[in-house]
Amino acid sequence: MIKGVNKRIGLYVLAVLALTGCERCQDDVPPCSTPDCSPAATPYTLEIPPFFPPMDIPEDNPLTVEGVELGRLLFWEKELSIDGSMSCGSCHLPQAAFADPNTYSTGVNGAQGIRNAMALINIGWAPNYFWDGRGLTLEEQILEPVEHPDEMALPWSEAVDRLQNSSTYPELFQVAFAEDLITKELVAKAIAQFLRTMVSADSKFDQWRRGETQLTDEEFAGYEIFLREGGDPETTPGGEFGGDCFHCHGEAGLQFSDYLFRNNGLDSTFAADPGHAAVSGNPLDSGKFKTPTLRNVALTAPYMHDGRFTTLEEVIGHYNSGGVPSATVDAFMKVSTGGLQLSPVQQTQLIAFLHTLTDTSFTSNPAFQDPH
Amino acid sequence: MIPRAQYFVFALLFIALTGCEKCNPEPEPLPDGSVRLDMDLTWESEPYAVQQVATDHNGYPVRLDNLQLYVAPLELRNNAGEWTTTDDVFLVDYSVHAQNMTIEVEPGTYEAVRFGLGLPPEINTDIDPASYPNDHPLSVLGSAGMFWTWASGYIFVKYEGKFATEQGTQLLESVSYHCGTDASYRTVTLELPTPLVVASESETQATLTFDAAKALYGSTDAIDLAVDPVTHNANGDSLGGRMMDLLINAWNIEVQ
Repeated sequence: MIKGVNKRIGLYVLAVLALTGCERCQDDVPPCSTPDCSPAATPYTLEIPPFFPPMDIPEDNPLTVEGVELGRLLFWEKELSIDGSMSCGSCHLPQAAFADPNTYSTGVNGAQGIRNAMALINIGWAPNYFWDGRGLTLEEQILEPVEHPDEMALPWSEAVDRLQNSSTYPELFQVAFAEDLITKELVAKAIAQFLRTMVSADSKFDQWRRGETQLTDEEFAGYEIFLREGGDPETTPGGEFGGDCFHCHGEAGLQFSDYLFRNNGLDSTFAADPGHAAVSGNPLDSGKFKTPTLRNVALTAPYMHDGRFTTLEEVIGHYNSGGVPSATVDAFMKVSTGGLQLSPVQQTQLIAFLHTLTDTSFTSNPAFQDPH
Repeated sequence: MIPRAQYFVFALLFIALTGCEKCNPEPEPLPDGSVRLDMDLTWESEPYAVQQVATDHNGYPVRLDNLQLYVAPLELRNNAGEWTTTDDVFLVDYSVHAQNMTIEVEPGTYEAVRFGLGLPPEINTDIDPASYPNDHPLSVLGSAGMFWTWASGYIFVKYEGKFATEQGTQLLESVSYHCGTDASYRTVTLELPTPLVVASESETQATLTFDAAKALYGSTDAIDLAVDPVTHNANGDSLGGRMMDLLINAWNIEVQ
């Protein structure tokens, strides 16, 4: 009798152990890693180049291998324009360091804007977007061109319908974001992920900075001009006959932009394009535009927010003249003291240095090209 | 042989000593309180805002468009004469409304404030801004426009704007004072008009006022905008050092 009871008790204990043991095992393993148990996207490790600052990536849009690749497909997707003729890449060409070699980009309806398309270089580090800074996040910036009537002119509702009804995109969004329903926000997130991977950090200057190569005498002389105060010391206090470039295109973090808004003396009135003033509402921001990066500057012609200069020689010539006066012209412009007054040789040296910022491994990187 | 009485005494002694330890533990320090210094801006003691037009000591109309400065470290002296300090670095941008500097300090009574105007050498030169997180005032983004090069370091004070030499005319002349380099680092000490009492886990406020007009003149020196409109004090330019000296006496503090 007792033996029989003991056996039964033993069986109960075994059963309880087996069941609770199984429960414990199941507790240890999450039921699935995505809300609907679809395969999780693979984290993408972005290598931060030497001397670069950390990149702030939004917590709600971490980089994933699938998200980045989806972003590349979407960046080059012509179905995001009303007539299927244009993608983001139509105005951000690889050979132009993802800028537009035309003064103004022409949209699907033949209309043109009033500004040159900015180069897409290391924009994961930018704190604001567009020449006037109206975009505060990369994801926000991406939403604009698709439906802008002078650009791709496609309402977002139709854009997401096209993607949703395609044979490939729903599955790609499902893998990248674990979402069945495609939204414009997810499209922007995917393209933003792709853009954050577009890192240029292997120009000759980068290689020199890393101790891997030498600058020529001419290039190094140009670098020194870049870092020297501008102007003739006789007329400009503190002047060192330099280019005064580093104030706005500083080498801190090797981005060659301070990302601030400045009036570099191109015009004396700003009715045609008020620049940052249209965003801030402050008249004293009139004529101010974001300092662009100088990375790949030899590839990103034409220059200035309105593409008015076609060569680097013209750009240097502008700064050499000092620009035109206005109530908002930047203090660094030598408007009333005769400009930089760089000699022809110095101008050539400065341009030689600017060419060391060209990174063809960036512009030809297969990971950034049109996959369609 | 040890007598029993001695065992007893040892035991009593042991209990007394260890008991004392238990009964009189070191008092836990109270959590810190915070001191918030609200940053006010004046021009000749009148309230002033960046981008307002004012008149300088020479009668020139002046408009400051950009006024930023680094402060590090910020210290308080308590009523025992000891200075308490923090590692905090502040970049004060007077074009941004309601700037303040807040530090955590031990509860107590404080009688003076001392701060470095600029950055001490150990965090000024040979430091890569890229080594800081992007929200730090010394990072690439946090120091935008306030960094020269690795060798020359940060711009301690940026005082930029426009002026004219005659009243009633358009302000088209640029003034651009960028003060910096290790040799230009200055310290400002201000005795508090009334003691600042900081309680644990609470915030105490004071107002630190900078008179921007005083950056241009003092009892022993004056800067004429028309003569010296520019200094980028990266190479021993004495004008930047002169301005930093003037800035020492451009401050006032009040306790709420």
